[in-house]
Amino acid sequence: MKKNHLKHFDLDLYQETLPNGLLINVIPKEGNNIYVTFITRYGSFHNTFIPYQQKKYYEAPMGVAHFLEHKVFEQKEGEDPFVFYTRNGADANASTSYLRTCYLFSGPGHVCENIEYLLDFVQNPYFTDENVEKEKGIIEQEIKMYEDIPYWKLLERSLENTLQKHPLRYPIAGTVDSIRKITKEDLYTCYDTFYHPSNMFMTVVGNVDPKEVIETIQNNQAKKDYQSREPVKIKQVTEPDTVVKKEDTVTSDNVEIPKLSIAYKIPVRDFDKQKFHFFLNFYFDLRLGSTSLLLERLRKELAITGEISVDVMEADQHFVCVVSVETKKPEYVCEEIDKELRLKQVSEEEFNRKRKTLKSGCVYQSDSVYTIASHVNSQLLRMNTILLDEYAWIDSLKWKEFQKAIQSLPLENRSVVTLLKKSESL
Amino acid sequence: MQYTKIAQNNYNLHVIETDKYKTIFLKVNFKRKLKKNEIAMRNMLVNVLLESTENYPTKRLMEIETEELYELGYRGSNYASGKYSILGLDEIFLNPKYTEENMLEKSIAFMGEILFHPHADETGFDSVGYDIAYHSLEDYLSSLKENPDAYASIRLLEEVEPNTVLSYRSCGYPEDLKNINRKKLYQYYQKVLQEDIVDIFVIGNIKVKQIEKLIAKYFPFQERKMEHKSHFYHVKNQKEKVTFTREEASLQQSKLWMAYRIKNATDYELRYVLNVFNYILGGSPNSKLFVNVREKNSLCYSISSSSQPLVSILTIRAGINASEYDRACALILEQVEDIKNGKFEEEEIQNAITTYKNSLKSFEDNAESMISLYAGMEYLNSDPIEKRIEQIKKVDKKQIQQLANKCVLDTIFFLEGNEENEKESFETL
Repeated sequence: MKKNHLKHFDLDLYQETLPNGLLINVIPKEGNNIYVTFITRYGSFHNTFIPYQQKKYYEAPMGVAHFLEHKVFEQKEGEDPFVFYTRNGADANASTSYLRTCYLFSGPGHVCENIEYLLDFVQNPYFTDENVEKEKGIIEQEIKMYEDIPYWKLLERSLENTLQKHPLRYPIAGTVDSIRKITKEDLYTCYDTFYHPSNMFMTVVGNVDPKEVIETIQNNQAKKDYQSREPVKIKQVTEPDTVVKKEDTVTSDNVEIPKLSIAYKIPVRDFDKQKFHFFLNFYFDLRLGSTSLLLERLRKELAITGEISVDVMEADQHFVCVVSVETKKPEYVCEEIDKELRLKQVSEEEFNRKRKTLKSGCVYQSDSVYTIASHVNSQLLRMNTILLDEYAWIDSLKWKEFQKAIQSLPLENRSVVTLLKKSESL
Repeated sequence: MQYTKIAQNNYNLHVIETDKYKTIFLKVNFKRKLKKNEIAMRNMLVNVLLESTENYPTKRLMEIETEELYELGYRGSNYASGKYSILGLDEIFLNPKYTEENMLEKSIAFMGEILFHPHADETGFDSVGYDIAYHSLEDYLSSLKENPDAYASIRLLEEVEPNTVLSYRSCGYPEDLKNINRKKLYQYYQKVLQEDIVDIFVIGNIKVKQIEKLIAKYFPFQERKMEHKSHFYHVKNQKEKVTFTREEASLQQSKLWMAYRIKNATDYELRYVLNVFNYILGGSPNSKLFVNVREKNSLCYSISSSSQPLVSILTIRAGINASEYDRACALILEQVEDIKNGKFEEEEIQNAITTYKNSLKSFEDNAESMISLYAGMEYLNSDPIEKRIEQIKKVDKKQIQQLANKCVLDTIFFLEGNEENEKESFETL
């Protein structure tokens, strides 16, 4: 058991890697609530891969990672996971993203028992033709629910028009058609490949004894027969720098206030990826965020409703910065945003002010078991390590380097989608 | 955790001293009787107050100041609490231990700036901030249908009982918004400052004396009547028939909403039994609705029930295919009937009680949740945590059955999507 101090959270981190490859992170924190996440590095990005004990690439139907997330709760015998956790007064849940599938519970007390059960149910699911078929109606409704949300539709179309090959262009849950094709065999192929402990990690945050927690996991895993394994081979796509479609308009009866999205496609090139990610967030925030002059002006002109939102998404060798806004003057606002971003100037003072907020952000995050876990998990997924001193890392972000990074941004490389009310569009 | 209430004739100050958090949370609530035509006004007020102040005359300058105050967060809300309307302004900031010594005073002063130094003169609120706030609320009111579930929940309650506190739209009404101007709004704000019942909650690693002094210094409220009555609203007229309402929308998924009125429930039933009943019916992934309608019959992804004790209402919602309306309705009604007939296990009651106790414990980990607990004690006469745990433990099967039998189906609201056109709800030009 290795012990380190997370300076920015003022909390200790205990880590252990088991013989089967499972990484355990424990962060003790005072309070009642305990939050445990059990994560496999398997999300919608990992759609084409060489399955366990096979030699050739296999392309799974879109949405399998998410489908699996639903079905892993299915057990051949013993208690249903939701029954178990409600009895212990804990909330159990799961979610799927581009990079990972996460199983979790939260609640005070019963920590070792709850952890053991989490390991057991995730490591022993049971798929049949019948229970796979039954889930399709449920997931179909989940997909339709999101498809009815205008902003969701806008983002989906935006990514589809920006990326040519990378899986970021497809929805995480797949489509109603793609999930209908999923079989029990698909689920087992993906499960057997990605749910090996060496591809997974568990993070425990809350009022726990790290030694006791780690021993519980150790003993549980020692009883199971996992052989050591090579990492999974995922097919890498070569994503071109250009977008699929520069401009697009979508219409719907559901939309009352028109919406605009601009997706800037930016290659990572020779920058440090994590720093570059932060610089992009900084830059878009400084130019379009709550303290920007452009936002102040567009609001004053009543050209937009609400804020301008920015989402910086990672697609291996590219970042996609999606800027979205509600506006009745989409052409004008699009032009103003483009113009503003091309200024590529930020004063050192503004840069330092923003940088300071990152440190305060760490203190806020350290007040909740949820934000601590999600911060640490996200670093493990993106950087394969947990930063021990984030303050030092923040201090290493220099204005000059930032200037250099933003000067090189190819901002003309973007895809615009406008979402209009059907009757107004003609 | 040490709670102190200082009742004065200008405001009640509630201080919760604890070293559990690295943040300090401050909430200022303005409360008065809920009136339909004032809702838009109060929403406008929240927006305008947060848009600019005398010393920070634009939103951008306010935002820059909050960054200087180590990412201080601020926001406002306006909501109905039974028969009352509560307009609240919140602030969250870091314990000065993690920033600078004078940050406690500076942060409280920032809220004082918002409340007592608005960007206004004798002609009313500043027109720039006013216009932005107006535009934003106007757009919001015209785009309610973009969020189909929120829209359906509003329409459901309007069908239960139009024009009572039960169904007032929390966002307000366009016709009331049109009647507001920046002068009227400013005059209304003066009334709010002078007449509304004010409760100030502060929680964190603080000292009562120090907070008392700072609040008095930056929040110069005048004396007022501080009396209030019960927030609970009881539906009076019983309908003879169930109301069915159907609206069409261009959606892939249809929204099925149902409302039950709870007749003549006792105080104990509304505060405790209802909680357990709702949990068993549709409050968890192990509930009757989830297991039978979703897991066994694959009719939906989201399904749940939710209770509104302040207005004696229980609602159920599900997202389904339009063609499954009959099956879904029948199955949902069956689950309620099963509880009325006692078809549920003792274990389900114990699970609900354990979950209730644990959620109270988890509340202690979060400053804002603790404030909501103390606000409940102030406004609704809720019991303190220990008493609540004692009370919930007493809930038994017979009581749940009795309460279920006081629930009468009042309204079914169906927002029907056009499945045959499902692929065309979004078209490419």
